Amino acid sequence: MSEIAAKAPTKAALKPARRRLLASRLVPYLLLQALIVIVTILGIRLLQPNDPEDFAVSDFSAREDDLTRPVTLPHFTSSRYSLADPPFYIGAFAFRSGDAASGWSVFLPRFSNAVEVAVNGVVVLDSRRDANANRPDRNTPQIAAIPASLLREGGNEITVRLFVWGPLKGFLDTVYVGPDIALRPAYETRTLLFVTLPVVFSAWQAILAVILAIMWLMRRHEPVYGVLAAAMVLGVVQAFAPPPVPPAAVSRLAAVLLASAPIESALIVVFGVLFFGWRWPRYGTLLFVPGILVFVVGLIGGPPLPRILFLVLGIPTVGLCLFLMACVTATAVVRRQDAASFTIGCAVTIVLVCWVQDMLTVLEIVSNDRIFVSRLSYSAMLVAIGAGLTWRFARALNQVDSFAGQLVTRVREAEERLKASFAREEERARAAALANERTRLMRDLHDGLGGQLVSIVALSERGSAGATITDAARAALKDLRLVIDSMDDIGGDLMLALGSWRERATAQLRPHDIALDWRVATPQGLPLHPELRPWHVIQIVRILDEAVTNAVKHAQARHVAVTIETHDGGLGSYGVISVTDDGRGFALAGHCEAAGARQTARGLRNMRSRAARCGAALDLSSDASGTRVRLQLPQRFPDSDMAAG
Amino acid sequence: MIMTEQGETGEAITILLVEDDAPTCWRLQDALVKAGYEVRSAGTLAEARQALSVGAPRVLLTDLRLPDGHGVELIRETRQRFPDTEIMVISALGDEESVISAITVGATGYLLKDAFPTDIATTVRDLVAGHSPISASIARFIVRRTQGAAQNSAEPPPGPALNTAKLTPREIDILWGIAKGFSYAEIASHLGLSKQTVPGHIKNIYRKLEVHTRSEAVFEAVQQGLIKL
Repeated sequence: MSEIAAKAPTKAALKPARRRLLASRLVPYLLLQALIVIVTILGIRLLQPNDPEDFAVSDFSAREDDLTRPVTLPHFTSSRYSLADPPFYIGAFAFRSGDAASGWSVFLPRFSNAVEVAVNGVVVLDSRRDANANRPDRNTPQIAAIPASLLREGGNEITVRLFVWGPLKGFLDTVYVGPDIALRPAYETRTLLFVTLPVVFSAWQAILAVILAIMWLMRRHEPVYGVLAAAMVLGVVQAFAPPPVPPAAVSRLAAVLLASAPIESALIVVFGVLFFGWRWPRYGTLLFVPGILVFVVGLIGGPPLPRILFLVLGIPTVGLCLFLMACVTATAVVRRQDAASFTIGCAVTIVLVCWVQDMLTVLEIVSNDRIFVSRLSYSAMLVAIGAGLTWRFARALNQVDSFAGQLVTRVREAEERLKASFAREEERARAAALANERTRLMRDLHDGLGGQLVSIVALSERGSAGATITDAARAALKDLRLVIDSMDDIGGDLMLALGSWRERATAQLRPHDIALDWRVATPQGLPLHPELRPWHVIQIVRILDEAVTNAVKHAQARHVAVTIETHDGGLGSYGVISVTDDGRGFALAGHCEAAGARQTARGLRNMRSRAARCGAALDLSSDASGTRVRLQLPQRFPDSDMAAG
Repeated sequence: MIMTEQGETGEAITILLVEDDAPTCWRLQDALVKAGYEVRSAGTLAEARQALSVGAPRVLLTDLRLPDGHGVELIRETRQRFPDTEIMVISALGDEESVISAITVGATGYLLKDAFPTDIATTVRDLVAGHSPISASIARFIVRRTQGAAQNSAEPPPGPALNTAKLTPREIDILWGIAKGFSYAEIASHLGLSKQTVPGHIKNIYRKLEVHTRSEAVFEAVQQGLIKL
């Protein structure tokens, strides 16, 4: 309840906030675009090349449709679709031979669609032979030298035949006739602006098209590159394919060229939508319909029809696409506020302004000497977008690099942490092992050394005989050596422990004149036990000690034999250690009256319990001819102390 | 044989006994004198040096922990001044730590402080006869060290520094046999040797483990990566 109540006002508060945000972002953008519109218009005005007005020839009499009337250039004629009987302009200019030093030329800055110029009845220029000059969207100028022999001192006649093919009206700008040296710079300027520059842009576009196509091929999941590459390829084809002069047989090529503009502009909208990360709406495909329609009609129909269709469908489509693109970028600007959307938005605005300017020119609302700037600005925009995309790609690569760097750093950090935790774990394990070892050592010392020392103290206090104390002390020393010896790493080879024990036992037996017979069945001795631990060794050696001590103390043996064998069991080999003496033996059960017998009984119990803890089997047999202690080692020593009773 | 003759003519054999614990000293001295040796005893390093200045003993028996110094220094000095003197360490436990450090400066074996008098006399007699005794636990220590050196030379093993690099495989085999408690005869038959050659091998082992000078000791340590310069 309270949550809903709390949410409602926030939602209500959000809307004005969003609106404020929208206004705060959109308004500056629109102001910026307005500024760009003004700058663009000013730029177009400044771009207008200056012509040498001193040599202008603008008073002509025009014969059109069998009707002759005086006209002043620039002049528009009606649109037509036939090349027969073109509009015919007759004018006059004065030639002064004093100026003839550099030779004279006739310069036509702008005309559509083609001209045939004659001076004194001799044709000096026919632009129909220059395919590019005939393109209405390229403001191609023409210049032609007038052979000196044609020129007469004083008045000369110049005639211009203007070939027009629809749908646009025919146009003839002022004609300039004068010394070549005066006309040439103006011609060169126009050529640079309206011929060379578009070619440069188109070449640039071609290169970008290749790069973007490769990017798209390598990254199919980013169709934005493919779309832009397609748009650029279309633009390049449009720019470089020679437009056929009617009545050319290849009207189909003309259809392709006509259809290129609306399809290109639709592709640019697709690009915009994809670039800003939106889904392409299903009905968006409708944008391609006009272009395809022009194309299809161009393939099927005769020459005039696709041209009319282009004028009616194609050009507005271009405008619509530009407008949509402007909307898309404006939305992107509001949402993203990034450099890319700002840049593309500004570029679109410039192209849109140029398009409007061209429309106004076509409709003769603005007198602009019929210079079309859309194509030029569009090419510039495409190049800008391509450059932007490449920039974005490079930045993405940089991001990948830095990401890789971060990854390396993070992996290293993780490694460090892991190492530290390993070290901690190892330290803990070592501490635990040390503690275990300490516990074991304590117990071992307590079992042997401690008891013996206490016994020494007790004997000394009682003033007992030296020999008993000596025995106890020797036992204590022996036990201490055993404990120290067992600490050594013997690598699972029990023989190494038994080797030391043999020395101690021999030393122990020598004063009693007892020989220790040491028989090892194989050079290897006993099987290796990697799991063998010091406490196993201690138990085993104590069992053997006990057996030897019994033989000396109670059985009064003359010989003690230790036999070490390895037997093969079902699952593997196991060792057997036997201690045999030739003493008088003892009764295994029953009468415990004698102190020695009681001690023996305790010793036997100890031996059994030690054997059990190691998982070994102890077998005792004793009779009057001697005692045999057989210790059968396990195939595998137990990990934990099986402290069985 | 010559060996027994030497033992019988024990009165000619002089022994310098260096032991600071008086009862232990008495005990050892009694055992040795009873066996017919001429024994001089010293309780400190200084006394021992003084005794050495009089003349070289045939045998030096020394404890390692002395009130005014370490027995290792005495062993090293004696070894350098009197190469013919046989040296043994007196040890309470026969632990590797003390015995090995004595071996590397020239001692050949050790004598347990609580050994029975007969054993004490036998050991010294064998020593004079040229038999350097080696115990199973010392042999074990040495062979374990040869294994450790082969496995990972990067980390110095615990315990005293010991260069086992000069030992031949045969010598290592002999040490293995001793470590496992086999007698010289058994070792000889396992390895296809004559029984008499085994003591010679053991003498060689002692010689190879000895580090002759301080600089050589440092050199060996560097060679083995025990010291980083």
